[in-house]
Amino acid sequence: MAPRTITPFGPQHPVLPEPIQLKLELEDERVVGVVPAIGYGHRGIEKACELNEYPKNIYLCERICGICSAIHGMTYCDVVEKLWPLEIPPRASYLRTIWAEMARTHSHLLWLGLLADAFGFESMFMQYWRIREKVLDILEITTGHRVTQSVSIVGGVRRDIDDDQKKHCIEVLKDVRKEAEALNNVLVNDYTVKARTVGKGVLSYDQAIALGLCGPHLRASGVKEDCRTQGYWAYGDLSYEPIVATGGDSFSRAAVRVGELYQAIDLQLEAFGKLPEGELAAKPKGNPPANEAVSRVEQPRGEVFYYAKGNGTRNLERLRVRTPTYANIPSLLVMLPGCELADVPIIVLSIDPCISCTER
Amino acid sequence: MIMLPTVVRNLFGGPATRMYPVTTREPFARARGHVEFNEDLCNQCGTCARRCPAIAIDLDKDKKEWILHPDRCIICEVCAEVCPKDAITIAPQWRAPFYKREAIIYHSKAVKEKGEKTGE
Repeated sequence: MAPRTITPFGPQHPVLPEPIQLKLELEDERVVGVVPAIGYGHRGIEKACELNEYPKNIYLCERICGICSAIHGMTYCDVVEKLWPLEIPPRASYLRTIWAEMARTHSHLLWLGLLADAFGFESMFMQYWRIREKVLDILEITTGHRVTQSVSIVGGVRRDIDDDQKKHCIEVLKDVRKEAEALNNVLVNDYTVKARTVGKGVLSYDQAIALGLCGPHLRASGVKEDCRTQGYWAYGDLSYEPIVATGGDSFSRAAVRVGELYQAIDLQLEAFGKLPEGELAAKPKGNPPANEAVSRVEQPRGEVFYYAKGNGTRNLERLRVRTPTYANIPSLLVMLPGCELADVPIIVLSIDPCISCTER
Repeated sequence: MIMLPTVVRNLFGGPATRMYPVTTREPFARARGHVEFNEDLCNQCGTCARRCPAIAIDLDKDKKEWILHPDRCIICEVCAEVCPKDAITIAPQWRAPFYKREAIIYHSKAVKEKGEKTGE
């Protein structure tokens, strides 16, 4: 038996945009054990949300994560609306859906680029990010900012999409789809890409359920589970079906995200077609009542869970957030043992880790 | 080989990036760039300071000063939305980076009329 060594992977590592440490136990080049260490990005946002007045928390919750910031803000608004409960106007729910799917589009493009970068395919990384820039531009045109969109308020949305913007968005989205198709063709069919991803980090159907995973990571193991099937906001009106792959390896996770990228564009186009006229926001009456509520929303990385407790004042008694990466990190303990050291970056990246989200 | 069409298109197409800062993109019309303040319209009602999520606005009611801390401002547009006098607007141009944390002080000139509502 070869001697065992402990090698730290992170918290600073080229493949990780955010700090997480994995202590890898190695036998030569083979991983035999892994201990994750989190806690490098804790900012105390949940506590800060108790100290702020409830409308101010929207902007704080959006800063939990950079990539899914719009959906964090919307989910916070959703859970606070459920305290009354407060019905939001149909146009607002459609606009929320459109912006949420736009966020998913750019997040999946970002992840596909990062995956290409993880196995050293730099030019494809650049190409994905070039396309992503177009999606960020339409986000800036419609919401006013490319990253922290701040469009959601308790009761609805703050901004409208007018006809010119709608026409422009539809054009850009069709263009993005066409360009992404060319690149995804490379990702799905290229020999070198397959050699680095197929059969790496395999999780079976039963393991995925036992570990309590969520999001594309879960669906890549063949589990048909997606929060959007609850039909919140406008998802109930749109033709939506979760995308599932059966391989359970890194390649399947990429394939699910490629499918969801197209699906997100289709959902936006459908929502633009069905966009109803009407009010943008309902006005909440008074402070959030003494009540409890939970909200589950599908983010690009999986299911985000918000719990809020009101006490009749302008401050919330408690806000709790569980982010998708927190549920997905335990799968690393199952996927990594047995793999080669060179495959660790790809397997870690295949869960689409968002560490600042996890630690808040 | 599957990447070839993209590679060929790249060879003959122009660069996707700009030569920043020599060439810059015009900001989009409704982008949130920076806060602009109209001294003539403000009557020191204080709604903006109460509603600002980043505590970036201070008021000095004795000196009639409206103080913006640009280093704290997150340009969320809340102040512009809640201002009953439309004294605050959001302009699309980005604010230039700065080296010192200096507050910008404006002097409010409008007078609050008797019995006038203050927005909240």
